[in-house]
Formats: sequence, C-alpha cells, structure tokens
Amino acid sequence: MKFLCIECETAMKFKDVTRPEQGSVTAVFECPDCFTEIAMFLNPSETQMLKSLDLKLGGTNETAQPMQMVRSQLQTGKEDSVPNITSQIEGSETAEGGKCPFTSVISEAYEEESEPETDGLSWTQDALERLERIPSFVRPMAKMGIESYAKDNGHTEINAEVMDQARGNFPAQF
Amino acid sequence: MKSYKELPDDAGSNIVGQVTAQAKRVNQRLSSVKHTIAVMSGKGGVGKSAVTSNVATALALQGFSVGVVDADINGPTIAKMMGVRKSKLEYTSAGVKPAITSLGIKVISMDLLLSEDDAPVLWNAHSQKDAFTWRSTMEVGALREFIGDTEWEELDYLLLDLPPGSERLANVVELIPSLSGVVVVTIPSDVSQLIVKKSVTMARDVLNVPIIGVVENMSYYVCHHCGESEPLFSNDDAVESAFQFTLLGKIPFDPKLSQCNDSGVPYIQQHPNNQASEAIVATVENIKKYFNALS
Repeated sequence: MKFLCIECETAMKFKDVTRPEQGSVTAVFECPDCFTEIAMFLNPSETQMLKSLDLKLGGTNETAQPMQMVRSQLQTGKEDSVPNITSQIEGSETAEGGKCPFTSVISEAYEEESEPETDGLSWTQDALERLERIPSFVRPMAKMGIESYAKDNGHTEINAEVMDQARGNFPAQF
Repeated sequence: MKSYKELPDDAGSNIVGQVTAQAKRVNQRLSSVKHTIAVMSGKGGVGKSAVTSNVATALALQGFSVGVVDADINGPTIAKMMGVRKSKLEYTSAGVKPAITSLGIKVISMDLLLSEDDAPVLWNAHSQKDAFTWRSTMEVGALREFIGDTEWEELDYLLLDLPPGSERLANVVELIPSLSGVVVVTIPSDVSQLIVKKSVTMARDVLNVPIIGVVENMSYYVCHHCGESEPLFSNDDAVESAFQFTLLGKIPFDPKLSQCNDSGVPYIQQHPNNQASEAIVATVENIKKYFNALS
C-alpha cells in the first residue's frame, strides 16, 4: 500500500497511529514536502488480517519471536506459551530508525478487546458469577453476545433474567 | 499523477521485505531437512493421521531422523496418536523445541498449544462475526510458524499431516517451494476416490507437486479367528484402476490400530509383526525407493 501527495507528487511517509476504537486502527501518513497529513482507517477485519499475516505497518527491524503470531493471538492457548511481545514492541523501530508505534497500538487494541466495551451496561453480581461459570475460552464471545442482546433490547443492567433471555444469542451454555 | 510503480516504497512499512523475511526463515529452517513430504487426501476419515504417524514411526525404527508437522490446525490428532500430548513446548531464541516421542520423532501440533482438552482453536479478535475473512490466513500463519520456528535440526524426513481437502496443500506449496512430494491416502470406495481424485489433480496439474504414490488404507479386513482376508469395501480393486501412480501400500483394517491411536503408542511400534505393520513397512520401502530413484 502506497500513498501519494497529489499536490507535490511525493510519496507520503508513515507517521503515526491514533488509539484504536472497537477493533479499528487509524494510521496517519504525511507528505515530507508539504506536511499534509492523511488518515487511513482499517476496519476490524482489515486490522485482523494484518495481525494474521504478522505484518507491521511502519516496518520493524526486530526478529520475530518463535511462533510469535500463534502464541500471542491464540485465545484458547496455554498461558505459559504467551511470548514476551511487550519488550519487542518497545524495542521495535521503523525503517527510518524511529519507534514504531503501530505495533504497540495494534497490540493494545487486542488487549482492550479481551474485555469488550460495555457501553454503559452494568452487570449484577449474580450475572457476573454466572458469566464466570462459562468456559474461559468462550467467555469473551458469550459476554459480547449478552451485551449485544441487552443493548438491542433496551436493557441497561444485565441480570440473571436478561441472561436467560439472551441464552439463544451465543453458543455457550451457562 | 504518478502511478503505484513509480512510488519508491510503501511509506516505510516494507511489507515485501517482511514477507520475504518470513519465507527466508522457513527456508533456512528446512535447509537441514532432506525430504519434506505432505500426506494428503481429499476426504476426511480415510486415516491420514494414522498413516502419517505409523510411517513416521516405521522410518524412525529404521534409524532415520524424522519430524512430523500436524498441519490440521483445527483438528489436531498427531500429538495424541504419537503419545506426546502432555509434552511442554520450550521456547528459546533459536526457536521452539518440539515434543519428542519415545523413538525420537519430533512433533509439532496445535494440540500442544491449546489450554484444555475441549478448547477449540479461537483467535483473538474484536469480533468472531466476520472471522471467515481472516481465519484461514491465521491458520496459514500458524502453519508457517510451525514449520519455520520449530527446531527440527538435521532430519531425513519431515512429514506434514494435512487436513482433508486440497486447500491446505496449496498453502504448503506456497510456504515450502522445495516440497519433495505428496503421499495420497485413500480407501477403496468410489466415494473416497471421487474426492481424492480432485486433490490429486490439484496437486499434480495445478500446483505441480510430485506425487510419490498412493496408500490404500483400510484395504481389507483380516479375520482374527480364521486369518482370512475379506474386502471392507465393494470395490477393492478401485485404487489401482483409478490412480495412475505407484501404489505404495495396501494397509488392512485392524481394530488394534484405532486402539493404538488412542493409547498414543503407534501401531507399528506395538504390533510390529501384524499384517498392517508389514503393509506400513512396505509403504515406507516404496517411499524410500522413490527417493533413491531420484538421487
């Protein structure tokens, strides 16, 4: 993917990223001549595709850790297989020698997404306890399904009754 | 206005460079592997994994150094069949130390990375809703890391146990341009061959991968009371007539094979003198003959 500043006929350079929002990442590119900036938005699927290819926008000089992609992206993986990606991100640099913020932001995006946004919904204690009984590897999906059902049906509080109603909204039993 | 090709780079991401580095990593890792063989079939349930684990074991029993990649990311069975499910992978700066069987066979499988027995392969994502757009890319990425990041060291044979269908073979050929060849597993039924033929055409005519030969699994049944052989399927000559390739072996059905798969001790290791073991050894001899003829 390349970006051209039409005014200057100059190739734009990767500059920065903004914080992710619901899986979407925004990358900023700048014209080195006139300093015009543009923003490129990746939708969640595009962001995910980039992660699945284990590619870094903005480049990297770091050598990948063994099975880095699998170990960092496998939601149902063993805990002891998670790689120390943080140190790698902190040390990663762009081709120009600067820090590459994109990798860290992408990573943050996924960390954030392990706890889905609640959008003003609250959970009662008994609902949270029932949520805890759902197997850990499907819990995030189940939580999203319940919250989605609650929002769609005008609930602001998730209690046992709402969970019963939402039961058909996701694959896990609880 | 300038075109795509006139722009000097991709704004500093060097995506081509990153992809090239990934491919280089795989090639470097496989540079010490003599023969890389994909075990495939178009159809599920024909016994690919059982054939893979037993061929690997037969080779190891003959003194060859062997590795097995379980390329079935969503339905991994090799670690169970080869008795290494409880093995813990060790991650070093040089790569991942694979699970090792009692005969020294190196094994890598998604099964070794999953947290629980009933845990499916689920990837981190904002939503699983549109996962069809990226899931297969994740799986290919996982396979690339399995092949390129496992510390295989010097190997005579690396076997890849593919999932059903021909799609994964295309991925493997992309990842391993030096793939030595394909062993096709089928059973003597018209239904199986109808599907397997499609995979063979894909391998031979589209992907240009050498076909080492065909293994006819569940070829016949040997009665344990009278020792007589009986066909399990109606068309017991089907394989020889349907495929224009070397028939590597005809492996009879033996209920003990399934028991061995469950116990984690490969059949040929546990019952070396049974008819099915003899057929597996014959298969291995034909595979070796194929490579000897090339050298």
